[in-house]
Amino acid sequence: MRVLNVSRRNGIRRLACALLALGFALWMAALPAAALTPEEVEQRVMTITDGLRCPTCQAISVKDSEASFSTEIRDKVRRMVEEGQTDDQIKAYFVTRYGEWILRAPPKRGLGLVVWALPGVAVAGAGGAIAWSILRGRRGRAARSEAAAGAASSALTTEQRERIQADLKRYEEED
Amino acid sequence: MNAPGSPVSATPAPPARSMVASWKFWAAIGALVGLVALFTFGFTKDPKIVPSPLVGKSAPPFEVGRINGPGRISLADLKGTPVILNFWASWCVACRDEAALLQAAYVKYDQGQHKVRVIGIAIQDTPDRALAFAQHFGKTYFLGLDDAQGDISLNYGLYGVPETFFINGEGWIHCKQIGPLTEQRIDEEVAKLQSAAKGERCGS
Repeated sequence: MRVLNVSRRNGIRRLACALLALGFALWMAALPAAALTPEEVEQRVMTITDGLRCPTCQAISVKDSEASFSTEIRDKVRRMVEEGQTDDQIKAYFVTRYGEWILRAPPKRGLGLVVWALPGVAVAGAGGAIAWSILRGRRGRAARSEAAAGAASSALTTEQRERIQADLKRYEEED
Repeated sequence: MNAPGSPVSATPAPPARSMVASWKFWAAIGALVGLVALFTFGFTKDPKIVPSPLVGKSAPPFEVGRINGPGRISLADLKGTPVILNFWASWCVACRDEAALLQAAYVKYDQGQHKVRVIGIAIQDTPDRALAFAQHFGKTYFLGLDDAQGDISLNYGLYGVPETFFINGEGWIHCKQIGPLTEQRIDEEVAKLQSAAKGERCGS
């Protein structure tokens, strides 16, 4: 057709391709997730259970604990991963039943926020204190060297000279 | 060799400032005291006593077969009656004293009139060992056994035995007892179960 020149035709072709690609991607996303391999399942189980606290021992993760409850939780997590549940869904299941403390990472709210922020603040604070003391030292040294320069430029007073002579003489006599 | 006489005279050194007068000293002492106080407070708290988020919410459903007799029971079956749901195990030492108290509660409230149902679920156990324990310690009320995956235990957020849930007639968890029960605790909570009040830890 004379109405559509070459560049317009190419533009339409490109648009059609883009729409096709988008349609294909949406269709793929709508498909149920492909089954995870056993390695992938184990990997996810490890990650999730590493983030859960062993309810019996409390100081170690479910991943590392040999306690019977931890074993049951690990198996439960594995079943939930195989069912296709997300990490968030699985964690939410345990938080609903055990409380926030079952998560090893403190929540990023309230007092938990303090725990998250504290190390960074402490390092920044320490860095700041070091920088400040260095700068103060530099300024102090600069001031002192100025004073020293000033002192050197002024000659000793007569009184100071006499005192030095007297002291030196006393030392020489004592030796 | 004679020791030198008076040292070389110089401008007298400024008098040393007493350490105690320095504000930094007291700030450090204050921080130390504060830290010790914080630790003392922290060590008085038992990390195992954690409030259950399930208290005040609907009790999770369960269904279990009886090991000391025929029949099955589910939470839905019990709707309308308060329930003392006790989790125990044959290998649990603290459960031994508790067994007699629960049996007494069963006789007092459950047997016959079913004012309050007493249900025991053994966890991480085998039917033989659970039955042997029950016979030895005289538990005749409904006893069930959680499956090998611990589905009921996990659903109830269990992290030890014994743990007991006091569930009211509407199916809400009134309170959770962590550790063995006492006769007083059972009587108190049964009385509260009749009212709609929701506790937190049993006794609070």
